[in-house]
Amino acid sequence: MFNLIRRDAILQKKFLLTLIIPFALFFIITDSHPALIVLVISIFIPFNAFYYDEKAETNILLNSLPYTRKEIIASRYLGTVVYMLLVVGLTCLLLVAFNKPFTLADIAFGSGLFLIYAALTFPIFYIFKPGNLTIVVIVIFLVFAVSGQIIIQNIDRLLPTVSDFIINTSNTVLYMGGAAIVITTYILSWIASTIIYQRKSL
Amino acid sequence: MESVIELKGVKKSFKGFYIDKIDLEVKKGFITGFVGANGAGKSSTIKMMMNLLKPDHGEVKVFGLDYKTHEKEIKERIGFVYDGNVFYEGLNLKDIKRIVAPAYKSWDDDIFYYYINRFDLPVNKAMKKFSKGMQMKASLAIALSHHAELIIMDEPTAGLDPIFRREFLDLLQELMVDNNLTIFFSSHITTDLDRIADYIAFIQDGDLVFNQSTEEVAENYAIVKGELDLLDRDTEKAFVEVRRASTGFEALTDNLKLVEDTFGDAVVIEHATLEDIMYYLKGRIQHV
Repeated sequence: MFNLIRRDAILQKKFLLTLIIPFALFFIITDSHPALIVLVISIFIPFNAFYYDEKAETNILLNSLPYTRKEIIASRYLGTVVYMLLVVGLTCLLLVAFNKPFTLADIAFGSGLFLIYAALTFPIFYIFKPGNLTIVVIVIFLVFAVSGQIIIQNIDRLLPTVSDFIINTSNTVLYMGGAAIVITTYILSWIASTIIYQRKSL
Repeated sequence: MESVIELKGVKKSFKGFYIDKIDLEVKKGFITGFVGANGAGKSSTIKMMMNLLKPDHGEVKVFGLDYKTHEKEIKERIGFVYDGNVFYEGLNLKDIKRIVAPAYKSWDDDIFYYYINRFDLPVNKAMKKFSKGMQMKASLAIALSHHAELIIMDEPTAGLDPIFRREFLDLLQELMVDNNLTIFFSSHITTDLDRIADYIAFIQDGDLVFNQSTEEVAENYAIVKGELDLLDRDTEKAFVEVRRASTGFEALTDNLKLVEDTFGDAVVIEHATLEDIMYYLKGRIQHV
């Protein structure tokens, strides 16, 4: 299983250095919100992995090797968390290095959004035949990220009840509730992908 | 005789095509050639052997084990070569080895590098820059590097030049000297199979027509040529398919003995190649 997670690193080592770090630097220098930086940077590795898998007949390769379908899915979901932590760590280091202020809440918020987005989109890759899914999903992501930022910045005006609720609820409850929602969504998505993948004809 | 692969009553339907109740045993220690026209169901059958596709009915056993409970154990012991390149095309062989090798408990780097040298393959060049022949050699090197007991290949010789095809077939024969190995490979190039297969499994339109040793095929199947007046409702029963021309008939029999008893010296009997068999059986289906 560890081998399957390591596979992404082998596949994407060039990509990591040439794209992720410059992207992170760009966002940091342009003073983007730390939560947005974390969200955007986290997206790269898992979706780039899907992009590679779409091009090659990776599903046939992996399933011909001594792996079970359950393991293949598990490695995708666990690997996503592992790489997210790495990339988030890297982003924090860069933020500190450039003397940009950020809070743990920003990072948690960005990571949470990313995991929700991953949970909602991963099963799509297992339902449909490979094609140009990655591009579709990345476009949806950009819309999601931009509109998300606009909504959050204008939440008082757009959704007064929601903002009242957030203000009136204690931080602990808010964080715990948020974490519970994220984890539940992610696990449900994992289960759904496993069921879909086990029935899939390759 | 022990079977390495067993398909029992395997059915699978697709859009506009189905595999109909295949029973197939692949004998241990031999080369079985899996022959059929394009679209006959070869790749789908192989995918079911690899558990890439699940049959709608029936069971698939490899090494006597079931995929439901022993998927990893089974795949640990299989080497595979597919028609297309299933490896990441942007990666070089060294990186592909780093991905594939740890998947197998019994991966052997010495064997891998032995074949890399023997096949003259560059380890630092991206797979997409490989020719079709080199890609096949690379797949084969990977398939042979983990002490597999069963090698399953889907159209490994398609798109290869004749010289390399010959070398490839020689290599397979060389591998068979090592007693324990079983090779199952599909091809629509029948001369490849004539040359090296011990058993021939013949599939047509999703039906397994026969699975016999090459000797049995030679004993049973033949091309028969003779005068048209020899044919009547009874004598035609000896044939699978008859083609008539003004000068006489040519027919395929799957019962050479019956033909010899029925016609004696009145007909000319010739050896039927696999291509002949495929050609005549194809005709039979079109007539019906």
